[in-house]
Amino acid sequence: MGVTCVCQVPLAEGKSVQQTIDILHKKLEQLGAVKQGNFTVDCETYHATGNASGQPTKLLYVMHNSETPLSCLALFEGGPCLTADGNFDVLMIKLKSHFQNAKGHKVESRGSRYRYCDFLIKVGAVTMSSSARGISVELEYCPCVVPGDCWNLMKEFMQSFLGPSIPELPSVFATKPEGLYAPADCVDTMTQYLELFSKVRKQQVLPGTTR
Amino acid sequence: MADAMNVGVNLEAFSQAISAIQALRSSVTRVFDSLKDGMKNKETLEGREKVFITEFQDNLQSVNRDLNELERLSTLVGRPSESHPLHNSGLLSLDPVQDKTPLYSQLLQAYKWSNKLQYHAGLASSLLNQQSLKRSANQMGASAKRRPKVQPSTLVLPPQYVDDVISRIGRMFPDMSIELFRPNGTSAVLLVTLGKVTKTIVVMRSLFIDRTIVRGFNENVYSEDGKVLLSRGNWNVYKYSATMCFYNPWFFSKVTDHATTALLHYQLPQMPDVVVRSFMTWLRSYIKLFQTPCQRCGKFLQEGLPPTWRDFRTLEAFHDTCRQ
Repeated sequence: MGVTCVCQVPLAEGKSVQQTIDILHKKLEQLGAVKQGNFTVDCETYHATGNASGQPTKLLYVMHNSETPLSCLALFEGGPCLTADGNFDVLMIKLKSHFQNAKGHKVESRGSRYRYCDFLIKVGAVTMSSSARGISVELEYCPCVVPGDCWNLMKEFMQSFLGPSIPELPSVFATKPEGLYAPADCVDTMTQYLELFSKVRKQQVLPGTTR
Repeated sequence: MADAMNVGVNLEAFSQAISAIQALRSSVTRVFDSLKDGMKNKETLEGREKVFITEFQDNLQSVNRDLNELERLSTLVGRPSESHPLHNSGLLSLDPVQDKTPLYSQLLQAYKWSNKLQYHAGLASSLLNQQSLKRSANQMGASAKRRPKVQPSTLVLPPQYVDDVISRIGRMFPDMSIELFRPNGTSAVLLVTLGKVTKTIVVMRSLFIDRTIVRGFNENVYSEDGKVLLSRGNWNVYKYSATMCFYNPWFFSKVTDHATTALLHYQLPQMPDVVVRSFMTWLRSYIKLFQTPCQRCGKFLQEGLPPTWRDFRTLEAFHDTCRQ
């Protein structure tokens, strides 16, 4: 696994989420990418009950990724994170008294997975309670493990199919440009997804995109 | 001599005659075409008839001209000379059963093919001799009697000396760490870790570099019993991932090909430690593998690959397709 960058793509002029995704797929296929299946990333929110009054409730996010189907990741925003077995979900149900599931806040991104040379590109529609909220694109460059080294290379590749809407350097990269990108447990990837999902949650519902 | 001159004249007249025949054919075709097309559209009937008749006359005159030309050339062509007997293979051509035993045509093809092969082999050998690929100090083409029975002294070096040279080179480059193993006998196997970019395995035969394998930084280079893994077994498969992420092996095997080219390029049979040092200097230029754009086209990616070629003299980065 290599350096991964997750970004949100704005919708094309006057097009819906699905149409923009189709445009991106076509561009990727024109480049020569090969479709390799589907992917899903989802995130559930839990409120931590039992806090001292006056303190804001801490939110625990439990995320799953189809790249690592047997694990799940639990993290506080900006805080510590834990990689656990798939049975962690069952454990959270048992911990109902301490953590309450905010059912309406489940965000997920679902879509297809493409491979082009050493790049893995995942284009997904971000949905929250079955209403499409945006488009996420995850780009992974497998051979390199140092984010600072290959950011320019990834930007050049993104320009070829995303056009002018290239994101800036993700904050995760900025904190450790020379360090290794943590590959095996996808912590850095999931942190980026979490940031994207939080942004999407705060956004208004896009007009005319309810499914 | 006279035969050769005869052949020369015949052939030229022959080719001219063939083009004269083609000209004649086209002018006859033109006659019939103009007849088929009929009269062109003009204002008056007389005008139309006049144009048609003039055209017809022109076409017939060109036919006449071409026919005269052809008759003139046919007198020049003459008889084919009988002075080139084909000896025994020519007798094969007299066999009328062509489809059952096409011996003569196959024989001709075989001769043509072997002539072409000889010609190409001559070209190839002259090209290959320009770049000598021999890595020993023996003279080329020495006869068996004069070939020295003793191995050149640079092949039999004490392992301690090899260790010293390698550790000296390792100290020269701070961002490159070299580990030395001796898994099979006295040949050293080096594991060169270059920054956080690649791990290269270099197999040596005394101080000569025999083979290199370039792998990614997070790939597994050790086999189960701790020995350095020379062959790539399964791809780097994460066993718990349902959708297996195939680490693209082609990128680093391209770099491996370049490294093999480099070790054939840097050759000095008498001074192998200089060779090893230049090879390591070349390898070290890969530390910015993902950060440098190609010097020629200025881009990072060409068909999905970053610039993997490093020039042997200037150490500049080029794409494999840009380096010519």
